[in-house]
Order: sequence, then C-alpha cells, then structure tokens
Amino acid sequence: MASNDQADDVATYAASVRAALSNLPTDQSDVLLEDLEDHLREVAAEAEGPLAERLGPPEQYAQELRTAYGAAHAGGTRQDPALHDLRRAIDLVTASAWYRQIRAFLPELRPAWWVLRAYLLVLVITVAFSSTYNIRPIPNPFSSRGLLEILAMAIAIVVSVRLGRRNRPLAKGGRMLAIAANVLIALIAVPALASMGTFHPFTMVESGGSGQAGQQLYTPSGVVTNIYPYSRDGKPLTDVLLYDQDGRALTLDSKTGDATTDYPVGADGQPITNAYPLHERHLSGDPVPAPRVALPPWPAQSPTVSPPPSPTPSPR
Amino acid sequence: MNQAEVDPTQLLKGVLDLAVLAVLAEADSYGYDVVRRLRENGLDHVGDASVYGTLRRLYQAGALNSYVVPSDEGPHRKYYGLNNRGRKALDQSAQTWVSLSKALNHLLNGRSNGHGK
Repeated sequence: MASNDQADDVATYAASVRAALSNLPTDQSDVLLEDLEDHLREVAAEAEGPLAERLGPPEQYAQELRTAYGAAHAGGTRQDPALHDLRRAIDLVTASAWYRQIRAFLPELRPAWWVLRAYLLVLVITVAFSSTYNIRPIPNPFSSRGLLEILAMAIAIVVSVRLGRRNRPLAKGGRMLAIAANVLIALIAVPALASMGTFHPFTMVESGGSGQAGQQLYTPSGVVTNIYPYSRDGKPLTDVLLYDQDGRALTLDSKTGDATTDYPVGADGQPITNAYPLHERHLSGDPVPAPRVALPPWPAQSPTVSPPPSPTPSPR
Repeated sequence: MNQAEVDPTQLLKGVLDLAVLAVLAEADSYGYDVVRRLRENGLDHVGDASVYGTLRRLYQAGALNSYVVPSDEGPHRKYYGLNNRGRKALDQSAQTWVSLSKALNHLLNGRSNGHGK
C-alpha cells in the first residue's frame, strides 16, 4: 500500500537525518528535529516519489538544516575524539544501504511484535501471580486458570494491536515512555521465557506452607510418590515415620500422581503425613498395590560380628 | 574566518529569515506551504531543509507561534504565524534590508559603471 510505503520512507529518511545530526547537542537537536517527521510526511503527501529523490540525500538535508538553524556553529562544539569516532562509525553504518534495507524491513515486523508483546505481558502477569516457580507455557487449557488466560490474551492482543495501529504520533515524552514500556516488557519476559517448561531435576520443591502440602522428591527416574520400607528379613513395614536430616517430618506432595492419599489422623486431630507407606487409592477407589521389589541378599552372618562384607553380592 | 570573505550561508540565512517572516505576515502557514510560496515568489532554489530549519529557529527564538491543525486526510499540519515579536522583527529587518540593498545596489552600480566607462 502506497500510504504504508510512504510512512516507511518518511521514517527511514528521518532516521538518517537524525543520525547525521547526532553530533549536535541534544537540547539543540531536540528542538530542531521535534516535528521533522510531521514535516516530511507533509512533503511526502504533496507528491509522488521517494523523499531522497525530491529532497536529496538525507545527509545533505541534515547539513542544510544545520546551517539554516545556525546550530552548534557548524560543529564547533568540543567533543571527545573517541566519541566523535564512534559517532562517525555509527553514521557510516546508518548511511549504508544494507542498514537502510533492514530499517525499511523492520516496520513490516511491527504487527508481529504487537501480538508478541501482548502474549509476553500476560505471561509476565501470570508468572507474577503464580505461587510456584514452575512456569508452564500459557494459556494452559488443563489448568484452572486456562480460560482466564485465553480471555486475557485475547483482550491484550486486541488492545496491543489497536495501540500499535494508532495513527496519531505521540508527543516526545509519550513516545519515550512507550518505548521504555516495550523494552521493559521484553526484558522481563526473557527470564520468564527462559525458565518456561524447564524442571529442576533432583531437587526438592517446596510448594507451600500448609499441612497437607509436602515436598516433591525426585529421583533420576521420576517423582517419588510413596515410600515402601522393608525390614532386614524382607517383611513389608507399615506406619514407618520418616524424618529428614533436620528432624522435619518427610512429607511427600500429595498432589503428585493420580491417586488420593488417606492419612491416619493422630490423637490431636492432625493428619500424620510422614507414616509410610502412604495409603493411596486410585481415583476409582481401589487401593494402590505395593510394587514388587527386589531385596538385596544380605551377608550370611550377623552384621554385629562384622565379617568382611562381600563387595559384590550376587543378585538372586 | 577570513573577514574579507562573504559567507554565503550567512547571507542566505539573513535573507531567508526575512523572506519567511514576510510570507508568514501574509498568512499563517505550515512548513511545506512556506517552501511553495517562497518558490512562487521567485526564490526558486530555496531548500526545503533550509526553510524547515529557519522556521524552527525563528520559533525557538520566540518570533513565531505555532498550532497544529488536524486533517482527516493526510498528516496533521503544524502552522506557524507571526506574534508581536515576529512582526517587530519583520519591520526592523525590512527597514535594514531596504537601506542595505539600496546601498549595495548603489555600490554595485557604481562599480559596473566604472568598469563600463
């Protein structure tokens, strides 16, 4: 579309002019270039053809502007030579053809960013309000908040695109604020995206402070949902109380797995959550059967006599 | 800077200020329209950037007021107009210009006459 091309042309040309005047003191360039885009848009609307053809190269335009404005008395401001070199390098890059092509191409991606920033914003809000550090991709239709997330996403995308398509250019302060907000969303979203969907293997994750909620124990082969203690002679034990190295009751997360757990209730009315094996029942109501275990062969004599233990007991 | 040399940019700057002020004294106008009216009045090669820069400088110097006129089609236009300070500047500059150009014309005529005879 012609009007879109024209807008891109104006943006590219204005950017080149600004780049060429980047060594002006900012208070001067701010005032001088305040409504450069408005003016160029007016020029562009006046006739067909690219601005560079009608106004000359942007660098020349910038020089003419500088002269007419009487700015900085033609580069008479003192400047750090290193800074000057850097600016020259930047000017060289920004004046190059490939830079202009990229600049011209970037606006094409704007609608994609409008959608992405809406997604990232909802993601950041979701993370901020979620109690666990386990970030899952959203919207997650299997979670209780899935519908809410989808709804929030739809609204955010519509609002974001409407904001993006807004025709009227913002005042300078507003534009800086808008750019800052966009950058902020992107920056906050990077760690959120990076940790999304990753688990933390072999660690315990505390998922809250209530009595029922326990810890998730991981082994390399998966999450531990129950513990089956056996005596030395291979008899299954029941109601074995387990404690960790700090003397805290070792309680497994009851929400893990697809079985429900019946805890015995103590005389004080509190559930005893660290008596193993847990009495688990499937959702159907059937008790979860104990797994078959392979017991290790003990050495023949009693350990109190302490004979040299056979280093590799042969499995039965 | 060599004092004996005429700096053409300085000359242009002075002329352009006066020309822009004169155009705006006729009617308030926006950047591109100022360029067009200057060209219609015979300043063919006046640059767009020069006019835009001059407008910004005069505005910054407090000689102009400005207001935005929204339009349904095309961009919003920033109109500039003379305020009291601008009108005073125009009057003074016009007087200066008239006497200066008289003196210069006289000098230049005398020079060309001297060469001719």
